[in-house]
Amino acid sequence: MPAPNASPDTAAGWMQNPVRLLVEQASYAYSVSDREAPDFTLGPVTFSARQREIVGILGANASGKSTLLRLLSGEFKALSGRIELDGTPPGQLPLRERAQRIALVHQESTLLFPLRVWEYVLQGRYPYGQRLRFENEADCLLAGNALEQVGAKALLDRRMSQLSGGERQRVILARALAQQPRLLLLDEPTRSLDIGGKVELMRRLRRLAEENRYTAVVVTHELNLAAEFFDSIVLLQRGKCLASGKPADVYRRELLEQAFETTLDVETNASGRPRVILRGDADMDALEANPDAAKESPSL
Amino acid sequence: MTREVIDESGRRVAVPIDVRRIVSLAPNLTEIVYALGGQDRLVAVSNYSDSVPAAKTKPHVGMPMNPSLEAIVGARPDIVLAAAINQWETVDALARLGIPVYTTDPHTVEGMLESIKDIGGVIGASAQAATVVANLQQRLDALKTKLAGVPPARVLFVVWENPLISVGGHTFIADALRWAGAESVLHTKQNWPQISLEEVVRLKPDYLVFASNHAGDAASNAQRLAELRSEGGWQELPPVRDGRVAVISDEVNLPAPALIDAIEQLARELHPGAFKPARATHCSAGRFAAHADAGLHFDSRFAGRWPVAPSPNLCVEAVACGR
Amino acid sequence: MRPLTPRRIAGICVALGGALFVVVVFSLQVGAYPIGVRDVVMTLVRGAIGHWNNVPPSDRLVVFGLRLPRIALGILVGAALSVSGASFQALLRNPLADPYVLGVSSGAALGAILALAWFPHAEWTMQAMAFLGALITIAAVYFLGRRGGQIDSTTLLLAGIITASFLSAIIMFLMTTLSGRDLRGMAFWLMGDLTTPPAISLGFLFVILLIAIGAIYTTSSDLNLILTGEQEAHHLGVNVPRVKLVVYVGASLLTGLAVSVSGAIGYVGLLIPHVMRMLFGSDYRVLIPASAIGGAIAVVLADTLARTIVAPTELPVGAMTAAIGAPVFIYLLRRRLA
Repeated sequence: MPAPNASPDTAAGWMQNPVRLLVEQASYAYSVSDREAPDFTLGPVTFSARQREIVGILGANASGKSTLLRLLSGEFKALSGRIELDGTPPGQLPLRERAQRIALVHQESTLLFPLRVWEYVLQGRYPYGQRLRFENEADCLLAGNALEQVGAKALLDRRMSQLSGGERQRVILARALAQQPRLLLLDEPTRSLDIGGKVELMRRLRRLAEENRYTAVVVTHELNLAAEFFDSIVLLQRGKCLASGKPADVYRRELLEQAFETTLDVETNASGRPRVILRGDADMDALEANPDAAKESPSL
Repeated sequence: MTREVIDESGRRVAVPIDVRRIVSLAPNLTEIVYALGGQDRLVAVSNYSDSVPAAKTKPHVGMPMNPSLEAIVGARPDIVLAAAINQWETVDALARLGIPVYTTDPHTVEGMLESIKDIGGVIGASAQAATVVANLQQRLDALKTKLAGVPPARVLFVVWENPLISVGGHTFIADALRWAGAESVLHTKQNWPQISLEEVVRLKPDYLVFASNHAGDAASNAQRLAELRSEGGWQELPPVRDGRVAVISDEVNLPAPALIDAIEQLARELHPGAFKPARATHCSAGRFAAHADAGLHFDSRFAGRWPVAPSPNLCVEAVACGR
Repeated sequence: MRPLTPRRIAGICVALGGALFVVVVFSLQVGAYPIGVRDVVMTLVRGAIGHWNNVPPSDRLVVFGLRLPRIALGILVGAALSVSGASFQALLRNPLADPYVLGVSSGAALGAILALAWFPHAEWTMQAMAFLGALITIAAVYFLGRRGGQIDSTTLLLAGIITASFLSAIIMFLMTTLSGRDLRGMAFWLMGDLTTPPAISLGFLFVILLIAIGAIYTTSSDLNLILTGEQEAHHLGVNVPRVKLVVYVGASLLTGLAVSVSGAIGYVGLLIPHVMRMLFGSDYRVLIPASAIGGAIAVVLADTLARTIVAPTELPVGAMTAAIGAPVFIYLLRRRLA
């Protein structure tokens, strides 16, 4: 087992594939007012991820997924336990350094004034240099590179407002890549995409993680895509961590039904990855009538 | 070259001994300068000086409230005359530029006579000022005699109809009303109180007094009364119902010699019994009329110089009387 | 991909500065008092050298005593209002924001009217109390507009609008009940007036202007990012609460300064940033200096028109900016850039 604190910047660290992101018994609590008991508690959560790995955070709405993401981004500080990115808690890093290591890919927000794609992506270079900075050639190269990696180089001169949903998603991702981060955090990146776009995004993420040695943490509702493309899953329910580990280990029927409070079934496909199957009403009736026919039902 | 005086606003002014170029910043000051015979030395006037039609041909410097400093400077005045209507910022700005400004600010009718004397002294027309003031004072005294023992009429002076704005006790107009044998039913410290029609009903004035620049025109007076009679609220008021609405020259607003005419005009309307019927002599080329019997003295020096009668009402009466 | 360089910004500033110079010379030359371009230049030159004796006194009076101070004040006020407007548009994430939306001008107006009522003939009290009113309003709206200890854009906007309404009601109350005093100056103050020289030396005011604009300028990169979203900016390394505080204080001070010396001149702070965006893009690193110079040009031009169109009657400069600004605003709306 490689030493958990081996830095990827040393030669030894590079040879091994050390753990980059370490979350150990981390917990957090919200309260609306200071005097009352917390309204919501997250944790304790434990998982870890190395370079080139993608972690999926799954759970029903309001199960604490976004809170966990904000803990990872350093916006919140864990109340107990520890969170470390390459040995340092993200919450302790100064803002600019944090932005050099962690990139959070948001859902798009409305832009008030016209902005071109290249201007938007160049903003990803902000963490490097002084506060009032002017971009240099290196910045332009990196920004162009980032756009190419998401397959959006052709969109360079277009206005952000003229892009389609999928194009905009890619450009937002490009800006995050321009930050040259080690950790990529994505909050429901496939929400407004069609199935083709979803698959494409997942494939791209996979490829980016491989080529640039990112560690990525993705909050998503897409059970099957997560199972297919991610290396590990963290399953949350009402703030509690039900399970964390490989998809095959986490996607157990009891756990999933507890997390999502609905009837689900799990199969394994040819490559060994689990698949979640939805039972329709007709299927449920048929199943009750003939329990042995479960395996033959079509899957989604 | 200059002497220092203190003007009516309390400021020290270095007045040149030899005043050749005068600028007037308010219509009443223009009138006064004309009355003092100084119009040839008047190089610029403010807008709205059209009560003296001859002044229309003089260069204008803008509205009294916000004149063009450049235009004033460009006229190269020896002295600038200012009144209460001008902003003190204008006066300060001119003072800063080294231009002497003499401000008059009378609050009463007799105060206005003092102002005329002061202005006469400043522009080097003291002798004419003394004459004009003596003449006006005589008319006022005659009026006082005629109205002695006559109880003052209770009036409401309407500055503006909608919203209904009247005058307060300390204003110039209130004093003029008193000289005309009238008493404003409103007693308030505010200068331009805004009141409701209900208040008017409660105060029960005997007369409503309006000011207009068409005061002498019988037709427009009749029209004003007709309008009031057709307006809801106003038509219920006793003075409107009974036709006790007086319209006098809007010179009543200005502290200038023609004010006395307006006062006389109002006095005749409110207390006709105190005045012997007017015996008219001819109307001269300038449409002036002298009414010696009415105790009103008119200085023939002004005949022909003021092409418009200072109180057209008098002339109308003369025509109506036909005597 | 052509990123913004300091050189490009300097070029734009030089071009705009040249336009401003032309406008200043034009403004010095026109007016109720006729004086030719040559005479203007000669007066300026002689005045600069110190040969006062060769200058006809009226010329000198008009050029240096009347027009130049007015133009200088116009430059100060135009720059202050435009930068303030651009800053508030970013801070509040609202393209309709202008320097007065947070109530600073209402507070200043209240100070002015109280000065007129209590100290009628004192020269500089109106400006001093207007500035005091502005400062108090800035502090009050700041404390009202916080949420969780930091400035929250929506709360700030609401706090500002409510404060402005409340103060306006008080002002209206005072204007009707204090009618015994001389409040005519208030009308001109409310419409904008560049003729009263400031109580403090113009040079000192310019220094304050440059400091405030400079402070806001240091956050211009941050503002670019904040405009794509506050969360996003935070995750890119921007210290969002600090930037918002600096911009709020800087822009409010600029508004307070402008309004104290010249009353409330409208439309400049709202429209000049949009016009500059149309010409040079939305990047605040160029928008702030461009707005400053553009605002100066606009106010000097408007004031020149105001004092010449119906000479010798002087229109209030605020009336001119409204008359020109409203059609421009409609045009921008139709182009969907405002």
